[in-house]
Amino acid sequence: MDEITEGTSQVDCDILVIGGGTAGPMAAYRAKKKNPNAKVILLEKANVKRSGAISMGMDGLNNAVIPGHSTPEQYVKEITVANDGIVDQAAVYKYAQNCYEIIQELDGFGIRFQKDENGDFDVKKVHHIGTYVLPMPNGDTVKKALYRQLKRARLLISNRYMATRLLTGKDGRIAGAIAVNTRTAEFLVVRAKAVILCMGAAGRLGLPTSGYLFGTYENAANSGDGYAMAYHAGAGLANLECFQINPLIKDYNGPACAYVAGPFGGYTANNEGMRFIECDYWSGQMMQEFYNELQSGKGPVFLKLNHLADETIGEIETILHEVERPTRGRFQVNRNNDYRNGMIEMHISEIGFCSGHSASGVYVDDNACTTVPGLYAAGDMASVPHNYMLGAFTNGAVAGEHAIDYVNEVDFADIDEDFIAAEKERVLAPTKREDGIPPNQVEYKTRRLVNDYLQPPKVTRKMQLAQDRFAETRAVMENEMVARNAHELMRSLEVSSILDCADMAAFASLFRTESRWGLYHNRADYPERDNENWFCHSILSKDAAGQMTIKKKDVDPYIIPIDEEEKDAYDKQRIKAQA
Amino acid sequence: MSAFEPFEQFDEVDDIIDRLEDPDPGTRRVAIMDLADSADPAAVAHLKKALADDAREVRLQIALALGEFDGPETAEALLIALTDADTGVAQAAADSMAELKDPASADPILPFVAHESAFVRAGALRALRELKRPESLKPALDALGDPEASVRSEAVSVVGYLKTEDALPALMAMLKDVDAGVRRTAAGALGFSVTAAAADTLAQALSDTDWQVREVAAETLCKVQSPGAIPALRKALADDYWQVRQKAIRSLGKLGAAEAIDDIAPSLDHDISNLRKEAAAAMGEIASPKAVPALEAHLDDPDPDVRKNIRWALGQIRAE
Amino acid sequence: MPLAEQPSSVPVVVDEGKCIADKGCTVCVDVCPLDVLRISDATGKAFMKYDECWYCMPCEADCPTGAVTVNIPFLLR
Repeated sequence: MDEITEGTSQVDCDILVIGGGTAGPMAAYRAKKKNPNAKVILLEKANVKRSGAISMGMDGLNNAVIPGHSTPEQYVKEITVANDGIVDQAAVYKYAQNCYEIIQELDGFGIRFQKDENGDFDVKKVHHIGTYVLPMPNGDTVKKALYRQLKRARLLISNRYMATRLLTGKDGRIAGAIAVNTRTAEFLVVRAKAVILCMGAAGRLGLPTSGYLFGTYENAANSGDGYAMAYHAGAGLANLECFQINPLIKDYNGPACAYVAGPFGGYTANNEGMRFIECDYWSGQMMQEFYNELQSGKGPVFLKLNHLADETIGEIETILHEVERPTRGRFQVNRNNDYRNGMIEMHISEIGFCSGHSASGVYVDDNACTTVPGLYAAGDMASVPHNYMLGAFTNGAVAGEHAIDYVNEVDFADIDEDFIAAEKERVLAPTKREDGIPPNQVEYKTRRLVNDYLQPPKVTRKMQLAQDRFAETRAVMENEMVARNAHELMRSLEVSSILDCADMAAFASLFRTESRWGLYHNRADYPERDNENWFCHSILSKDAAGQMTIKKKDVDPYIIPIDEEEKDAYDKQRIKAQA
Repeated sequence: MSAFEPFEQFDEVDDIIDRLEDPDPGTRRVAIMDLADSADPAAVAHLKKALADDAREVRLQIALALGEFDGPETAEALLIALTDADTGVAQAAADSMAELKDPASADPILPFVAHESAFVRAGALRALRELKRPESLKPALDALGDPEASVRSEAVSVVGYLKTEDALPALMAMLKDVDAGVRRTAAGALGFSVTAAAADTLAQALSDTDWQVREVAAETLCKVQSPGAIPALRKALADDYWQVRQKAIRSLGKLGAAEAIDDIAPSLDHDISNLRKEAAAAMGEIASPKAVPALEAHLDDPDPDVRKNIRWALGQIRAE
Repeated sequence: MPLAEQPSSVPVVVDEGKCIADKGCTVCVDVCPLDVLRISDATGKAFMKYDECWYCMPCEADCPTGAVTVNIPFLLR
């Protein structure tokens, strides 16, 4: 079982999609639909049937731009303001214009959205300005419906292969990827004219307060492999210092779902049962307010439903306990919690990278192109901010449709056999040792250090200390880590991604010497926002010498102007938000 | 998985069906799952035939597996499973039938709306709803008089999804149904109509004995856009349930009912902050200067969300 | 340094009387995003081999015979 087997096979394709969660299946499906003769491979570390952030479905769309309820222009404004202005609007605008068509397509797949008694989408108002929330009370069927479409399209699906590095040609173009089987350790080399990365968030970066390595907010399989691979291929990564941190049910580490309970009248409260959040849209500012309350005498923070009618609570329970994270109900039973009798304790999550909820991602333009020719990225790992599940579907479609045209114009880039040989040696190194440090211990230590030194409020000296500790841990990882079978080998490769992400998190956070995005980049020794010097993206990458480097990049001129009054209106909402 | 075949192989239907004859029901069951995984429409005929299996767990698996397919033949197979003596099999079939998307699937289902079993009638109607075939109207209208509330409720949904003014009198009559669930569904289903009659019916529903019916009526009244809606909604602001008042306020806000300002104002003092927030937001939507004193008196509400909505409302009024 | 084997109580429990892995079913193993379930060579039944659970529940939800139960891992219970 899980024995290491030597072996390599090689396949060629037009497009290689890596990651079978949300964006990946849609990218592969749309590419194949646009050109049925193309060879499209969907590679997945787990099994596409139930992989990714939406393994057990999703309880609603948080950012649905549906005619009659909100407009693309309004949405772009809202996201621009929520992300403190650091937004290239073209990609957000394209998302907002395309997402309704995607909702309709998903509806046709049999994915069920809440409808009113006339069969129209039952969009709920949660935010102050726009109306974007579309519940999915039967959202547990998402992956099943998606997988059905992939099978019907006869896509080439390669499960249980973990991509470890991208291949690039001498001309810098993408050439494919190398992957290793997670059950046998056999290698698969894929030559491809275009590669689309859809590998999810870096969710296993911080350590949950429970100490359980896999008790993360994100699907724990999302270990940041895409961020690490894009980095090593020379792609730029945007605003990594804008961490993801989310409000959660304490200990359970599943979302508490303001978006589910909100439309029913539930809300986040302090120990007095009072609302305290000023900020409207889910953002770093909101998380700062959450954090402040948590640390104050009015803490901790709770989910309050007990003012609602019994019938209403019953409806909320059905959703919270059956969709997205259904073990939530079991957790509440263990704790003797009943939403009717009291409030449910909440906390904040560990840190991670995720543009789905914040803005830290591999830099992409409005066609989902990264800075490496032929390399695309979509979903939680691509830099389009506040994208959520619908953004992954929509931008996955954008990537697939752009890539399928791109591959008509190019041939395969050369692949470097020496690089492949060296990568195989790197991957298998932990299997060649008799004893040493197992991957779970290297991972625990790395993530414990992330919590100790990188969790906001961020402090310069602490982050520098983190860099020293990470370097020591890296030396252990490279020289002493041991994997006894193919499964442990997968974990050891994930550790490598986690450590890469930890290094990038520290490096990017040190670069931006101001505070921005509320809690996400709250620097205790640079507490003020500095628009004069820092109204820009940060783009981190690997330079020609193999060293980490970072630079500023201008924010593209706005397509949808934000007038001063709108900025002011937002600033007024944050009166009490300072730490 | 060998080193040379990295792709998922979906078994050919012909290679699976031999296992359907295996003496072990567990093996037959796994074969059914493989047929579902094949995603090959040729599997449907075999699944349908296998519904004669003696083992209930095999038939249950078939009912689940059919949810992976679509079209009239799938519907025919599901209708067999829907009438299965085993309730678990029948329930799974009903759930799978509700997943059908191909409008042609409706043809074999239509006659089952008149089936002797209420469970089958309800299941058939539930499947017809999303298929939105005009032919469903007549049997659904007939089913509005069904003795079983579950069937009537599904029938109301089918009619509501078809959005046809012809069905309006029948739908309006359902607001007098003895079952609160049916009345609730019917109140929501009237939302497509812009007639005064629909508005009157919803206005009457604001006096329903069930608060959730009143809540849906208050919510739906802003959609029908009839002048009769506003006086009725104003009266609903005296409802015992704050949830009903909240929906009524939301509707009055959306309708821009300036005459309702004085009726809405007392809700700014209610204990439940959800209601205070809705009142402030509605006053902003109505944007009448008459609301300014009430709003200004509550600028220091203890709830930040209420304060934010009050500030926003005052801004809206000043902008007018 | 040599490795120790430490005990860990795993959250996923399989009812071997109901499990039909020995008939060729691999559903729970296939759907696990963390790939922590295996079929035992000794019993032919599914079991949790690695304590790396996200308690997400596809194994339980998709099991055709209701043999799988996902508990909350002790550390966060």
